[in-house]
Order: sequence, then structure tokens, then C-alpha cells
Amino acid sequence: MSNGILDIDTASRLKGFYFRTRSSVRGQKSGIHKSLYRGISPDFMEYKEYNKGDELKQVDWRLYGRHDRLYVKKYEDEVNLSWCILLDKSASMDYGDEGSNKLSFSKKLSATLAYLLLRQGDSVGLSCYSGLDSEIIPPRSGNSSIMPIVDKLENITPEGETALRKPLLEALEIYKSSATFVLVSDFLMEPQELRESLQLLRASKKDVTLFHVLHPDETEFGFEGSVEFLDMESDAKVIVDTASIRHTYIKRVREFIDELKNMCHEFECRYVFTRSDASVEEPLIEIADK
Amino acid sequence: MNFSFLSPIFLIGLIAVSLPVIAHLISRKSGFQKRFPAVRFLLASQGEMATRSRLKDLILLLLRALIIVIIALLFAKPAIFSFSRADSSEPRTLAVVIDNSFSMGYGDNFNNAKEEAVRLIDSAPDGSFFTALPLVPERGEAISVIQNRASAKKDLKQIPLSQTFTDNERRLEQVYSALEKAPNQDKEVVLVTDFQKNGWKSEEFTRTWLRLIDISDAESPWNRAVTDVESRYTKESIKVKVKASNFSASEASELLTEAKLSGEEIKAYIDIAPGDFTTEEFIFPRAQKNEEPEASGSASIPEDELRIDDTRRFVLSRSGALNVLIVDGDPREDSRLSESYYLASAAETASELLRSRIRIKDNESFLDEDLSAYDLIFLTNVGEITPGKAAELEEYIERGGTTVIFSGDRVRAASYNALLKNILPGELGAPTQKDSTLISVKTDMFSEELFEKIGQTTVNRSFTLIPAQGAETVLKLSDETPFLSYFGYGEGNVFLFTSTADTSWGNFAITPVFAPVIKEFLDFESLSNTKRRNYVVGDKVRIDRLPSASSIAVKDPSGENLKIEPEQAVFEDTELTGIYKVLIDGDRAYEFSVNLDPLESNLEKLDVLSIESEPGSELGLVKVFKELWRYFLWGVIALFISESVARALFS
Repeated sequence: MSNGILDIDTASRLKGFYFRTRSSVRGQKSGIHKSLYRGISPDFMEYKEYNKGDELKQVDWRLYGRHDRLYVKKYEDEVNLSWCILLDKSASMDYGDEGSNKLSFSKKLSATLAYLLLRQGDSVGLSCYSGLDSEIIPPRSGNSSIMPIVDKLENITPEGETALRKPLLEALEIYKSSATFVLVSDFLMEPQELRESLQLLRASKKDVTLFHVLHPDETEFGFEGSVEFLDMESDAKVIVDTASIRHTYIKRVREFIDELKNMCHEFECRYVFTRSDASVEEPLIEIADK
Repeated sequence: MNFSFLSPIFLIGLIAVSLPVIAHLISRKSGFQKRFPAVRFLLASQGEMATRSRLKDLILLLLRALIIVIIALLFAKPAIFSFSRADSSEPRTLAVVIDNSFSMGYGDNFNNAKEEAVRLIDSAPDGSFFTALPLVPERGEAISVIQNRASAKKDLKQIPLSQTFTDNERRLEQVYSALEKAPNQDKEVVLVTDFQKNGWKSEEFTRTWLRLIDISDAESPWNRAVTDVESRYTKESIKVKVKASNFSASEASELLTEAKLSGEEIKAYIDIAPGDFTTEEFIFPRAQKNEEPEASGSASIPEDELRIDDTRRFVLSRSGALNVLIVDGDPREDSRLSESYYLASAAETASELLRSRIRIKDNESFLDEDLSAYDLIFLTNVGEITPGKAAELEEYIERGGTTVIFSGDRVRAASYNALLKNILPGELGAPTQKDSTLISVKTDMFSEELFEKIGQTTVNRSFTLIPAQGAETVLKLSDETPFLSYFGYGEGNVFLFTSTADTSWGNFAITPVFAPVIKEFLDFESLSNTKRRNYVVGDKVRIDRLPSASSIAVKDPSGENLKIEPEQAVFEDTELTGIYKVLIDGDRAYEFSVNLDPLESNLEKLDVLSIESEPGSELGLVKVFKELWRYFLWGVIALFISESVARALFS
């Protein structure tokens, strides 16, 4: 198991945390997620008046003693869940030096999350996508399923533009039942395309979590002097006096982040912003439960 | 009102205005390349900022270019000037400075200057304060500012024409600073001058508080002067070399030049090309008997408009009374048996002709004697020389002294070789017995008659000598060993006899050649050791005196007796031209001359300050400058602040 991509230390520190879906799901095996089916489970949900056909062992006899009426206890069932990690491998993700490279950070985040999810009994699949192609690993459970994910992540070649729609449709073909989609990207794409993608996911009743990864240079724009910038995904280039444009640029980036946050709020998605020079522990804690 | 730059050379700095433009263009064209993911935001930001950015860049570019322009103009000293007669109605403090350097003696310049100065004082508004000062200050001058017009004019009229010049710029600054405490705010220094170049370090000297008035009445004044005189003794004559200069644009032909010396007069006609000089040599025969040790004379050309530099005086020194020290290394009670007996007798005989002062000291006294007071030192059989004395003797010779050394049985060769190795004509060996006669090698030192008699000398004992490099053998013995050797060290001379000055090692001292040889030494020293006797105005004169002199006075050309400290023996009051007489202990010792510095004889005028060619520059009108640099300085500061504020606002 590669220590380079998989952050074992972070995984160890997050041992007591669980990653749960927000809505109830139709799971196949027992797990930690709320099942659509009520059943026998340690987690009490509600009381219901006894009807014919209800199991007698579910009757709360103490309540009967106080109220002289029969109530049965209803419990939540907990099942396992499928996770689909969609990792952006477009050229723009290959920005930053070693230690702050966006793609390296995203790979580490994806691998560590996949490991933790597999360990809590969920099945995890991976899709590495760009405008040129997408490579999919179908969801599998069991600790050993981490190996193909890590292998795939290690062999990613950054290329192409950020295009989400096509790989998303391919993934939805595979994840027909309940699943949570985790999108790891810089989302440097047309906002409308992202909006449509989120709309599609929510329409398919999928929980969605966005990890928005940006490099400090992109958020703080710490350049000096006059610089000619070449776009990493297109032929666009621009010469700017960094000092004079800094303020406006930062304002633009903040507006972009706010737009993503609003979009996620609108579609009830979880949005986690993270810098590529941070530890993967921080964004993972944001979506974890104790 | 006209605009001008006082240092226009600095306008070349305007080229630097292209620097921010070039920097601006370069910054827009290049810069290092960077691959970046979020170029879309940059493009969006740039589009929004484009117009504002261009305006900002243009404003900053203009401000920076303007800063460079103003700095260049600041260094070029912008000034406005006008021609005026200085008749402002506001009371002010006026310092009228009369150029009294000796060039102002040309024609009526000095009187005209005083009249113009009087007019300036008269035309000043009531309530004004005045001071009237010479450009060349008098010794112990005190500058006082007064309100009394009549008193100022009286001071003005008493200003004498100087025989020298000064650093005009420093003097004017000094006068202005003296006005600092004067009551009126408006302070002005007016210099009435002939605009002669000498005395000005810079031809562009201008001050806001200074007005210059050109008083010279000739457009291109011409002058001829005796600018130098050199005189020297030869054996048969006295040569006087006169340098006459022509400071005009026309040739001086058949200029009658006279040289006078001790009542004799020689005339010659010389031609001098324009702006050039001619040197004429005048030869006066020597009176061989009863000749004065010093003679004074003069050289002159016909008088012109500037008379003061047409005559130059000089004093010819033949060293006067030669101070001779004889050190007897083997003195006896019976002086006839002393080592120096024959030497002293010969020297005294010769000194009757040469007016020498002879002192005889024994070896012990010699060690305490100050050698610098002597022109010639004889060491006869001196056995004891300390290292300190040897060093003093070496320094004495290096500075031009002459020493004659006679050997003897007290002389220790090893000691001499160790202590006096730098000055001896060679390395002394052991004394050897012999029976030799004397022969001359260097005959030009002695006359033909003397040479014939030299052969009568027999020597039966002498030191061997290995000659040093550069040493010459003057007399040698028949066994080819040196008898008299010469060595020049520094500016001085050393003669070494390998035998004695008495009769113990030979008969040299009692032969007929001994006294003439000793006289040759005195003559040699007398001819070669002429003293400096000619100075220019302002020079400090070091008085030659014996250490025992108790009082020294100098009588200047006006007849005034000026006492000086015997310890210092330096005379500084050389402000008058002419012959000065030095009196030591009340006796007339010698004379020296003081002449003009010939620099002032060239009446060429300043180019830049001259207002002759300017419009409206008729006599009496002056160019009044008002420097504007302060305003430009404030402008630069304001622009710097504006640039900083603009940069802060735009960033």
C-alpha cells in the first residue's frame, strides 16, 4: 500500500469518525447508514400505536402500564452505502510544486477517503475524468478494494479540460441504487455545466459532496511584477501587472467560490473548500461524524 | 525679465526622461511567463480594469517623467535675470566691495570704481545700512555695518590699491555672511570690478544676493609686464635673466628693457609676440675685489597703463657671510700643535675675501653643536662620532650642506664605515705607510697654477679607500691611491682627505697649495649655496639667522621697521613690493625682494560674467539674477509625494 497517495497517519487519526450519508438509503448489507427500512436496530426512532400484524416483542409494556394503550417501538435500520469518488484529472489540476500540487492533494484526499469508507463497510468506486476521457472503477466493498483504487490514482496523467457532464452520466449508469457522489475538483469550468450536473445528481436522488481544491496562488495571487500568464487548459494568455490586478482578481475568485457555495446550498450538496497545501485531514473532518 | 540656466550642462539630464517611458514600454512587452489555471479570472479582471489601468499608468508615467524633468532643471540652476541699476525703494543693507587687486590700477579703473561705489551709496534708499570694503582684505580687518552714508563713503575713499589679489568667491561669501546680523532683511553685496579672470575659481559664480558691476573702461585692455627675473653669479660675471610678457593682442616691438645692478645699467630692445613672452639675459662683469656678498637690482620696461608691473626688483645673494665650522679632533694647548691649526689659518686668510664666520670646536663640543646653522663643516681627525651625530650630519648634507673630512690617527675606519657609510666617498681601510707625492686627477676644480704646485706635496701615511659608486677621486697619490675624494649626497657634498690636516702624515698643510685648496672649498660653497632672496607678495619669508640671534627686524619698502620673533624667524608682512632689509641684532644682515604675482598682469576678462555682449548692458546696468531652484526643489518634493499617493491609491 503506497504511503505516498494514501495518508495512513490521517486515516489513523480519523479512526473514530464515520462518514454518513444525509438521507436514508437502500442498502444491501448492514452498515452505519440509515436504512429506508425500519427494523431492529439499537437506534430508537418513534412510537406507533399497535396494529394487527405488529410483532408483540416490539410492544413497549412499560408505556402500556402508564397509558393503558399498546404502542410499539420503531427502530431505524442501518445499512451499508456505495460511494462514487469523481476525481478531476484535467490539466488545470496539475498546478503547484511538490507539496502543494492540486492533483497530488486531490489524489491523497480521494485515496484516504476511499480507505476510510471501505473500512467502515461501504463500497467505493472511482472515476477519474477530464474532457478527454474518464476511467471508472466500479464500487466494491472490503478492505482489499483499496488496491485498485490506489493503483488507478497513482497512474493518472493530467490532461484535457474540466468537463463533468459526460463522466457523470457514465457513473450514474453504474450507480443506479442509492449512492453518494464525491466530486474532487478545482471546478474551473463553466458554472452552468456544474449547475446542470448537480441538478442531474439531485434528480437521481444522490447525495453529493464537493471538495473544491485550489492552490494558494489561485486564491491569494502572490505574484510580483509584470507576468505573462498562459492558461493550462487552453491557448489563452494574458500579460498583467500583478500588483495592479491583484485586488480585482482576488475579488473575482471569491465571487466564484461564493457562487459554488450558493449552488451547493440550492441543491442541498455539501461544499468543502480546501487549499492544496493543507492537510487532507481538515476537509475530511468537515464531512465526518464522531 | 529673462529666463536663463546658470549650469545649462545639466540639461543633458533631460535625456533621462526617456527612462520611465522605456521602462513602461518594456513592462508592457515582456515579463516572465507562467502557466496558470485561473487565467479566466485574470482575463475577466483585466477587462474590467483595462481603462482604469491605462489611465493610472499614464498618470504615473507623467508624474515620473515630470520628476526627472524637474530634477534636471533643478541641477541646471534656473534663474530669471534683469538689467537694473539697483534703485529699489526699500531700505536694505548694502555691502559695496571695491576690487582693489592690482589689475585695477589699469588706467583710471580704481578711481572709476570708487566713484561708482559712491553713486551706489548715494542712490540707496533712506534707512539703508552700508559697509564699504576692499576685495583684497587688509590684515586685521573688522567688518562693520553703519547707517551713516558719509562715513561709508569716507571708508570707501580710504581703500588702497592692493599689490596682490585674493580668492574672490570666498571673500564675497565672507562679506555676505558678515551682513547676517544687519538690521534690514534685504541684503545685497555689490562688487565693483574690472572682471579680470584672475581670482575667480569659477566663471559661473553667481549668487542671488550678489551684483557685479563692470567698471573697466577698455574693451580689451592690453598690458606688458616684467614677469620674472633670475640672477646668478658665475666666476667672472653676474647674469640677470629678464622675462617680459606681452598680455595684449598686438606685438610689442623694440621694447626697451633695462636691467640695473649695483649702479650699473644695461639696456636692450626686445620683441614680444602677442600673448607671448621673451627672455633676455643681461651680463654684468664682477668686481673681483671688495665685492659685496649681495647685490640688488631691478629690471623694467617702459611704463604702460598698468605701471605697477613694469618694474621688477631682485636681490642677488652670494651666501653672504659663510658660516664655517672647524671641528678639531686633536686640540692642544699650544694651538700650533693642534690638528686644525693650518686649516684655521688658511680658512681665516680666505675669509678675509669671502667674509666667512669661522668657529672652531673640539670633538666634545661638536657633539652638542647644531649643524644646521653652518654652510661648511671641516672635520679634522675627529675620532668620536655618535650615531645621533652621524644621523644629524647625514641629514645636514642631504639638505645641501658641505662637509670636508681630514683623516688622522684618531679616526677609526670601522666606526666611520659603520656610522657614515651613506655619505663617505668610499670604504676606509687601514692607514698605510708610504712615500708618495700628490697628483691631480680632476683638474677643473683647481686652477692651472695650483695644479703645477700640487706635485710638491709628499704624503708618508694615508688611509686606503675603496671608492663608493658615484664617488670621484679629485686628487690622488703617486701610488694611485685616493688622496681627496668627492661624493655628492642628497643636495650636499662630502670631501674626504685620506691624510691629515696637519703635518703629522705629510707636508700638505705647509705647501703653497694648502691655502688655495681650502679657499676653493669656501668658494665652492659660496657659489653653490646662494640663498633665496626673491619672493612674491603674500609669501612667508624664513629669515636666515644664527641661533644666537637675539633680535630680528625687517625694514619694509615704506621704511617701517617690523620686529619678528627670533624663535620663529618668519616674516609674513610681504604685502608691498620692493626691497626689504633684514636687521639681526641691530646690524643690517641682508636684503630680499618682494614682487607682484605675474598672474594679475594678465588682464583677460571673464567670459560668462561679462555683461558687455548682453542687450541693455550699457555701463552701470547690471545683470541681476534671481535663482529659482527653491521653487523647483519644492516642485520635486510635491511630485514625489503625488507619485507616492497615486501609487498607493492605484495599488
